[in-house]
Formats: sequence, structure tokens, C-alpha cells
Amino acid sequence: MSEPRASRPRAPFRNESPLELRRSANRESLAGALAELDASLPIAVPTLIGGERRHSADFGSTDPGNPECLVATAAEASEHEVDVAVTLAAAAGRDWSRRTAEQRAGALIAAAEILRRRRLELAALEVRECAKPWPEADADVCEAIDFLEYYAREAIRLETGPALGQAAGEHNSLRYVARGVVAVISPWNFPLAIPAGMVAAGLAAGNAVVLKPAEQSPATALALIEALREGGVPIEALSLLPGHGEVGAALVRHPQVQLIAFTGSGAVGIEIVREAADTQDRQLHLKRVIAELGGKNCIIVDSDADLDEAVPGIVRSAFSYAGQKCSAAARVLAHEQVYETLARRLAGAVELLRVGQASELDTDVPPLIDAEAQDRVLGHIERAASSGQVLAEASTPAGPGWFCPPTLVGDLDPTSPLLHEEVFGPLLAIEPVASIEDACAAVEALPFGLTAGLFSRNPETIDEVARRLPVGNLYVNRQTTGAIVGRQPFGGNRLSGSGSKAGGPDYLAQFMEPRVITENTTRHGLVVE
Amino acid sequence: MKPATIAADALEREIGVVGREIAARLPNAAAHPIRAIDERIMQATTRDRELRAALFRLVDVTPACRSLDDLARHLAGFAAEVEDRPKPLDAAMRAARSKAGRVTLGAAVAGGVRHMAHRFIAGESPARATAELAHLWDAGIGSSVDLLGEATVTSDEADRYLARCLEALEVLAAATADYAAHPLLDRDPGGRLARANLSVKVSALTPLIRPEHPRSGVDDAVRRMRPLLRAARQLGAHLHIDTESVDTRETTTELLFELLGEPEFQAGPSIGIVVQAYLRDSAAELERLLDRVDGAGRAQPLGVRLVKGAYWDHEVVEAGQQGWSPPVFEEKTECDRNFELLSRSLLDRVHRDPGSVRVAIGSHNLRSVAHAVAYSRLAGADPPALEVQVLRGLGDDLARALADSGLRTRVYCPVGDLVAGMAYLVRRLLENTANSSFLSEQADGTPLEQLLAPP
Repeated sequence: MSEPRASRPRAPFRNESPLELRRSANRESLAGALAELDASLPIAVPTLIGGERRHSADFGSTDPGNPECLVATAAEASEHEVDVAVTLAAAAGRDWSRRTAEQRAGALIAAAEILRRRRLELAALEVRECAKPWPEADADVCEAIDFLEYYAREAIRLETGPALGQAAGEHNSLRYVARGVVAVISPWNFPLAIPAGMVAAGLAAGNAVVLKPAEQSPATALALIEALREGGVPIEALSLLPGHGEVGAALVRHPQVQLIAFTGSGAVGIEIVREAADTQDRQLHLKRVIAELGGKNCIIVDSDADLDEAVPGIVRSAFSYAGQKCSAAARVLAHEQVYETLARRLAGAVELLRVGQASELDTDVPPLIDAEAQDRVLGHIERAASSGQVLAEASTPAGPGWFCPPTLVGDLDPTSPLLHEEVFGPLLAIEPVASIEDACAAVEALPFGLTAGLFSRNPETIDEVARRLPVGNLYVNRQTTGAIVGRQPFGGNRLSGSGSKAGGPDYLAQFMEPRVITENTTRHGLVVE
Repeated sequence: MKPATIAADALEREIGVVGREIAARLPNAAAHPIRAIDERIMQATTRDRELRAALFRLVDVTPACRSLDDLARHLAGFAAEVEDRPKPLDAAMRAARSKAGRVTLGAAVAGGVRHMAHRFIAGESPARATAELAHLWDAGIGSSVDLLGEATVTSDEADRYLARCLEALEVLAAATADYAAHPLLDRDPGGRLARANLSVKVSALTPLIRPEHPRSGVDDAVRRMRPLLRAARQLGAHLHIDTESVDTRETTTELLFELLGEPEFQAGPSIGIVVQAYLRDSAAELERLLDRVDGAGRAQPLGVRLVKGAYWDHEVVEAGQQGWSPPVFEEKTECDRNFELLSRSLLDRVHRDPGSVRVAIGSHNLRSVAHAVAYSRLAGADPPALEVQVLRGLGDDLARALADSGLRTRVYCPVGDLVAGMAYLVRRLLENTANSSFLSEQADGTPLEQLLAPP
């Protein structure tokens, strides 16, 4: 693990380093961390509203690799609790926003330090609650720490507004101020990092935040809230409302919620945008929605591509975490000159994928998150088999767990929904294209615009594809997943999201509103400034 | 023979003697006009990072280009990214604007790559390389063959590599059987030396290298290594397991000792491994290796090839992106010093117990080679209890000079398709034309005293 460092808001941002698991000494601590966690399960997740803590076992999260194992029991927040939490937040936000950016940053950086201290424990929790394989669980904890550290510094940067034009006798200034109450609705697939990013941005900007985490990962969300409160965020300014979709819907409807930060499925995202557009009694503002939704991400492979790199890059893009990433690759558009070779080599590589428990370091593809996901993806694979040709399918282990075989399909009918709709599972389609031009046209025809990949060694082709594709993140000659805070700001365009990049310089300002102050500095014609 | 008896100043004096002896046998550029032109190209690329990048990207993509036109377009694309373009490159860019110009230019590039490939690649197949290997033997130089090929990402590809290795062993054993006797190359203090010598890469023998789970690769590679070891034993050939990046190191080491521990292989064949001196933990790693050799109790000494390491850029970039401390020395002098430290550890072991380990010094650095030779000589070994290994294409002159100086010398010979193979060699070239390379310093006319000075 990286050496400890002081929490100094003015020190430059630096990414948290993932565990160097290629060294055996670093691997040895993992099993112990998991055993220790197992001994403490299930974790009770209450509703946390200010100082109130209400425990109840209304629902639970289970180990996707062993559904009998209960990871957490959680209280389902009521509509009344939603109202209490938002009302409290509206009041608390005023005090929080009056602190200096550096003070708010200090709390976030202190919380980051707490996460850093709990790194192995939190990664173990992700292994259990979400079946994140160790290296990715560790990377998720690192990303959560990065978000806290990054937005803390962004708040300080934005405290000084941009320079404005000035004239004698007047003084103009622009400052960014908090919006008020931010509702965060987060997914389970990056159970710590994504809520950490949205919550930290809300807080760094001076807002109060109410978090409704995915019902599949309440325990990981609880760890985040605990760290932030322990780090110095006032308890009234940060509440946790575990629960299902109704809790999120109640938050979205609430007239005192000013901003909704949502990461999740396209259908829910569009519903949120629609609901947020409706103004209600007592509502004094237009609600803003920051949405990060799904995609149908394509990787283009040109005839000059280095297939030795393309094959492992594509396999990682499509199948790591069983394809349950919004950035995951779903389609390969291969130049017809290399299609046959690439399809054959990819098929061979897919057959080798090891499907297994997230806790095993040799696992390439863990189980899916839950039974519903397994049903849905297996259904897609069945349809793929009937409307195309299965080129490779890895075997799945016997025993419990929501396993699903990583599958490569070819020859799909061009109208097949599998080429246009998000699957969110380990299913990859490969198609030949006559030219890079055709490949770009295929990507442009999709309603999404999240990530895309390109394997090409021609600088002109790279330039042209970068100019053309409507995606938020284009990855050239590498995998399309694993964006790093500050280095690859991440987010999609079109129906994939509102476009502003998480972990980038444009993100935090969305959680603020600009205010311009113009002061007349003359008194009866005399300049007094 | 006790290492403590060798005084530092005596060693330095002897290094000077050995170094001058070898240097005196190196040819000068005037004797090889064509080679001198190649050297000039290599030198130009060592001085200009952008130019070097353009050249290597071009060689790298050549096998994937579908026509001469396509190749010329790539050249123009790479050239456009070189800011300070030499005149010929500007001319090339102009030529690339017309179809006819591109065909001419593409043909010139393809020809250039093939020309370069002939220098670095001993033949397109083991059978086609045998004449070249026999030629080396006649000059008193042994060889180790390395089969070039695409990366292994499927089981079929691993099986195909195994089949190529088995075929190579047969071809090499048959071809070397009737070589004239050469006592220096046929025997060393550890016993009989195999003439047929094949270097293999673990990453080519299994598609399942998992840095965070070395067992996956070991279990998959071991079932392909066994038939290879059986064939080598039966044919009296030597198998050398190359070391690659740190991501594959544990897999490679564990694979080696799993095989060495199997009763079936107690008596043979002769096996070797590589230690990379640029790794910060290589001294500790070598110590563990030597301890485990003692435990294995095999009849044949374990070959250890000491090299600087050819994945420096990769290691530094990967560590930088992950925020890890680089596993390699970042200063050339640190690495050179470590190379000498490891040389002495290995030689101490060989002098004490020649039945347990054999040493190969894989280096083009005159100082590093002279140091090992001098150390062994001062310990009383005559001829020195080591072998020097160099790369074909880069160390050819050095190999001849070493052999003429009475040193056991082996050339590492890549074998495979000329155009595709050249692309696979790019990484090694990149490393060896780096600014700190001895060869470029020598070509630059750096005085001998400076080249032989302690790091």
C-alpha cells in the first residue's frame, strides 16, 4: 500500500495507488481481511438522519456468489423520513455552505484518510456485497479516495471565481455558491466510488446531501457515510436513506431538493429527468439533474491494429466484473481484413475466462449481482444464440452464485436489439465492417455516447475517429474501462448522460450556482474604491 | 578459491587488461562499409527520441499493413509527428502525397525492414537458420535459438508454440550433431555443454499469465513444459527459460522449480533461467534462487543468464501509471554496479561448486563483460568459468572479438518470419539503442578508458 501522507488541502492531488497484487506479500493479507469481515456479518444498516439512527431489518444484501450469506440487513426509509432528512438538510446546508472551501475540503480529506486506513476491510466488503473481484474492489476503494481528495481541491480552486471585465466606478465579481440540498441516487456496480464521487462533489460545493444507495449495496454506502461524518462533515448535512426505488422517487419529488445526482439505468434516468421537470408547491427553483446512464459501447478494430494487444484489451473491456460497468464494451466492429483472425483469437481467449468467486484471485468473471440480473442476461444470451452464432462461451462453476457464462456472438442480424440495447452482462458481439468509415457510422447510429475503443496504428485514423465519434470517452489502443480520477474524467453524451465529466475540471461547478455581484464604487460621482 | 582474496585494485587492473584485449579485436567501421551505414541510422535514432519513435512504430506496424500504399501512409503519419525532420523524411512525406510515390516509398520501407530483419533474425525457421548457426560454430561461437511469434492469447496458440519448440529441438539436435569438436564450447567446469540450445518464453507457453495469481500460469504452462523437457533430455539439448517483465516473474520462477522438483527430471535435461540486474530486488532474488538450486539436488547445473533486462521502459511506465515504486534501478550506474555485484555472487558460486550453477553473462557492455572475465581469471579459473552471451544483430562484432579472445561465447539468435519477427524485436531494439547503451557510446567514439571505468 502507498505510504501514509498528511491530509493537506493545499497539497497537489495525487491518485491513490492500487495494491501491487503481483507481489505475493501483498496478496497474503487478503484472506485474513475477508475472514475478519465474515465474522462481523451481517452488518446492520440504519436510516441515518442527523443524529437519528433507526434500525430495522426490512431488506438485506446477500453475497452474489453465495446467496445464502446475508451481508447486511437494512432499514427501508419511509416517505416521512425522506421529508425529515431533506428538511433537516435544507437548514444544515446553510451553515455548511458558510464554511470556507478549505474547511470543507479538510473534512473530505480527513474522510479520505479514514477510507485509506480501512482499505482492505472496505475492499473485502465489496468482494462480499457486490462480488467485486479483489483487484477491482481495491480499485473502487482507491477511486472513492481519489474523488474525495480531488473534489476537495476543486472546491478550493473554484472559490476564487473567474476574472470579469471591470470599469472605473464599479466592481464586478463572480462567485460560485452552493445550490442547497443534493439528492444522490447511486448504483451498486461501483458501490463505494460512485456514491463517494457524487456525495463528495455535493458536499465540497457546500450543499447538504441525502444519499439513497442501491438496495444491493447498503453496507458499503454506510461505510462511506460513516467516514465522511467522522471526517468532520456535520451529521445534519449528510443523511443516509437506504431503500428501494420508492425512496429515490420520493427524494426526486421533494420540493426542497435542488439537485439530483443519479448514476444508473437509462430508463430510471429519463424518468428522473421527467419528474424533476415538474415544479411543485413550496418549490422555489428549477431542479437540476446530473445523470450518468448506460451505453452500448463499441470497440473499432482497424486492419492495421496490433491484435496481440487488441484481444486482451477487448476481453478486459467486455468481461471484467462480468460486463457490469457502464463503460464495458458490448460490440466489436472489426475491419473485414482482420475480422476472421480477430474473431478466432477472441473466441479462444473467451473460452479461457475463468468464471468463479470474487474472492478467488484467479477469477476473471464473477457472478452477476442478483437473480434478476442472471435471468435477464441469460435470456439475452439465449436470444443471441437464436439470432446469431455463438462463437465462444466459457464454462460456469456448479454450486451457488448468480453465474453467467461469458459469451462471444457473431453474425447477429443487424436489426437485433442485442446490437442496440444495453445488456449489462458478459455478452459481446463481433461484426465485420468494410471500413473505418462504416464503423463510425454504426457508432453514430446508436442513441448512446458513453465510451468507445479504437485499435489502430495510423495517426490519421486515430485523429479522424476522435473527431467523429459522439462518445464521452474514447480509448485508443487500450481497454475501455478503468477511468482514473483526474487523468480520464469520465461521462457520456447523448442518452448516456448529461456529459459533464466525473473526476474532471467541469464536474464540481454543476453542484454550484454562479452569483455575480456588481458594486457601485462611486459616491456622488467620487470614486471611493 | 576464496572470493575475499581478490583485491579491488587488482580486479580493476585485470578489467583493464581484459577490456583492452577484447577491444583490440573489435573491427573498425572502415572494414564494414554496409554495417557502418546501418550503425549511422541506429545512431541517428538514438539521438532523436521522436525519430526513434517514428522508426519503431513503422517497423512495428509493417506486418499489419495491407499494401505498399498503406505502409507509405503510415510512414507519412509517423513522420508528421517528428518535429525536427531530417531531409530524407521530408522527402518521404512529399512522396507520400501521390499514389505512385506511395508505392515507391512503401517498397523502400518494406525493403528496409527486410534488410534490417536479416541482420537481427537468423532465419525464417530453425531449418533455415542452421547454416547460419553452423557458420557461427565454425567461428568458435555457440548459439541459442529464440522462436519469434505473436503473443499467446489462446490455448491453440500455446500449443502451436510448443509444437514449434519441439520441432526446433529436433532440427537443432540433428544439425549440431556433426559439428567439429570444440573443447571450449563442448565442456565447462560443470560438465558437458549442449550444442542445441533453445530459449523459451513462458508467456508464449500459456495464455493464462495472471500476475496476481501465478498458479494459473504455472499449472497451464507446466503441462506444455514437460514434453519439452523430455524432448530436450532425450536429444541432449539445453532449454533456457527467458525472463520477461515483473508481471511474469513469479510465474516463471515457480514454474522452473516445479519442474526441477519432479523426479522425472532429476537427471536432465540441462535447464537455465535469467536474472535481470536492473531489478532492485535481484540480489535477494538470486540468493533465493541459489538456495533453491541446492534444495533441488539435480544432476545438471542450473544455467543462470545474467542480463541487464529488456523491459525497462515497460516497468517504469507501468509502475508510474499505477503509482508503484519502479521495480527497476532508474540510474544506469546503479544498474551497472548491481550487474557486477550479481556477477561476483554467481562466479563465487561457480568457483566453489561448478556442479550447481553455470553462469552466462548476457551483456554488450564491455566493462560488465571484462569485469566478470577478470574476476573469474583472478579466482584462478582458466579459461574463465563463464560464458558470454550477446544478441544477434547487435553484438555480432563483440561475439567475434570475445571468441577470438578465448572466451566461451554464445549468440542469442531470434528465428521467425522476417517482417513479423522484426516487429516482435522492436522492444529489444528500443532498449538497446537507448542513449545509455554501450554500443552507441562505442560508436560515438567514447575513449576506451572511459568505457572500462568502474560504474
